[in-house]
Amino acid sequence: MIPFILTRLLRALITIALVVTFAFVVLRLSGDPATIILGPEAPPEAIEAFRKSWGLDQPVLVQYFQYFLAIFQGDLGMSMRDGRPAFELVVERIPATLALTLPALMLKLAIGLPAGVYAALHQGTAFDRTVMVAAVFGFAIPSFVLALGLVLVFAVNLGWLPSGGRDTVWHAILPIITLGAGGAAALARFTRSAMLEVLGRPYIRTASAKGLSWAVVVRGHALPNAAIPTVTLIGFLVGSLIAGAVVVESVFSWPGVGRLLVVAVANRDLAVVQCILLLVATTMVTSNLIVDFLYGALDPRLRQGARAAA
Amino acid sequence: MSIFDASTTQPSRARRALRWPDMPWYVMLAAAWLLLVLAVALLADVITPYVYTAMDLKYRLVPPFQTLAHPLGTDELGRDVLSRLIVSIRVSLLIAFGATVISAVLGTTLGFLAAHFRGIVEQAVLMLADFQAALPFLILALSVLAFFGNSLPLLIGLMGLYGWERYARIARGLAISASAQGYATAITQLGAKPTRVYLRHILPNIASTLIVSMTLIFPEVILLESGLSFLGLGVQPPMTSLGNMVGYGREYITRASWIMLTPAMVIVLTTLAVSLLGDWLRDRLDPTLD
Repeated sequence: MIPFILTRLLRALITIALVVTFAFVVLRLSGDPATIILGPEAPPEAIEAFRKSWGLDQPVLVQYFQYFLAIFQGDLGMSMRDGRPAFELVVERIPATLALTLPALMLKLAIGLPAGVYAALHQGTAFDRTVMVAAVFGFAIPSFVLALGLVLVFAVNLGWLPSGGRDTVWHAILPIITLGAGGAAALARFTRSAMLEVLGRPYIRTASAKGLSWAVVVRGHALPNAAIPTVTLIGFLVGSLIAGAVVVESVFSWPGVGRLLVVAVANRDLAVVQCILLLVATTMVTSNLIVDFLYGALDPRLRQGARAAA
Repeated sequence: MSIFDASTTQPSRARRALRWPDMPWYVMLAAAWLLLVLAVALLADVITPYVYTAMDLKYRLVPPFQTLAHPLGTDELGRDVLSRLIVSIRVSLLIAFGATVISAVLGTTLGFLAAHFRGIVEQAVLMLADFQAALPFLILALSVLAFFGNSLPLLIGLMGLYGWERYARIARGLAISASAQGYATAITQLGAKPTRVYLRHILPNIASTLIVSMTLIFPEVILLESGLSFLGLGVQPPMTSLGNMVGYGREYITRASWIMLTPAMVIVLTTLAVSLLGDWLRDRLDPTLD
């Protein structure tokens, strides 16, 4: 178990280092931020001073190491637009994003898991077919189309709910439904196929053959085994809590991390974009790591250290 | 191994899959829609009634089905929605096709390299795949696009990075199991170079699995491009794409919802059609894929 945890941990750290490198390379080498922030007509002395104060006059390699060092010291740079620490700017947006993505995640789990399991247990019934059709549509309808469709019906035509902003609880309803609906369908489809795969295994037949009731077979043998692949998908959903609402936040003018990212990218606010990239990657890697450990707990085969499948 | 079984029985499965009468009605409908969309994209220059940027300020915000001159209506600048839709379909499909091909070639190559050299090369490829998985693609694309500026070739190239890791994993896994089979060893011992073994012998054997993956990834690329363009960070005006039209039509959602609804419908129907076709192909050709 210990070597398994250590290799996973090492891989996670290397992945994060790669993300940092990627962020650095893309954001620093793509253009000169000095001329973009100050404008092309800025006097050369001002540009020179700007470059010096941001360390942009140093060789790229030096900038790179300074960047790594700064991150290890918890310094993620200042927003070039409003001069505040980028980390602070990003962190104060997180509650707003979580206010959408957490309820949406609950919605996905509450609908997706039971729907998927029920559909698999009643394969071929009307319910099963409805779940499959919903899953196909949930995938094919992009979130911005669903969002605008909901706005058209519930805000424009019926006037029941507001179409954007974050003033009351009512403002959160449409974005949460948008985020939750597609994810619930995807999760239901995935759970269904995981469950079907398990139900077709010989050990299910053995369990039934030795006289266990169907409810016990499902609870004791099918569900725990179907949980293993499903946990991976849930880990991915948890990992995207912070970054999963970029488009939806933009449609509903919701002041979260996603909208901050779109604005920061449009303004070339390097520090803020880097900070979000890093935050998103760290969340994703951490949640994948937790999934890996859960795997070890859920699936005794992985604890043996024989990891041929990886 | 199930992958191994699937690849050895593929020729007969592939032939069976191409028989028309087995196609359910909805897959036929999907195929017909895709043929229509493809024809529209190819013939865009011939069939657009107007130049897609041409403004007619006398006819602004004309609703659809009101006049034969503008069957799908006009937008806020009096531009013909049908013409813009046709050009948008061409641009969106071009990006999605280009990106899917790039991603498949890139991923398969990296997968083969990993399978051939193993060791450090394989670890590096797997690590890159980890990196790709750690960063939601939209976030990655957003930063690259906005910081490198924006052009159609760059957009296609960037989208071409989407999903490569899935091809790489499949190609690596299948190539490793193929090298264990007699035919690859036989060819190698006859003196064939590795490129010949991989491209002429292993690739044809795993092609159907890769093609199914392409049909599964293609609609995701369409959705991604339309999402980026919707945010105003993908295809830039005066050029237009489906996502772009929805993004601009959004401002007129209360007064002229048709500007946004028509391209939105085309996006939904097209992704729906490709994924229905892809699911059906997968069930026939390679049930091991997910």
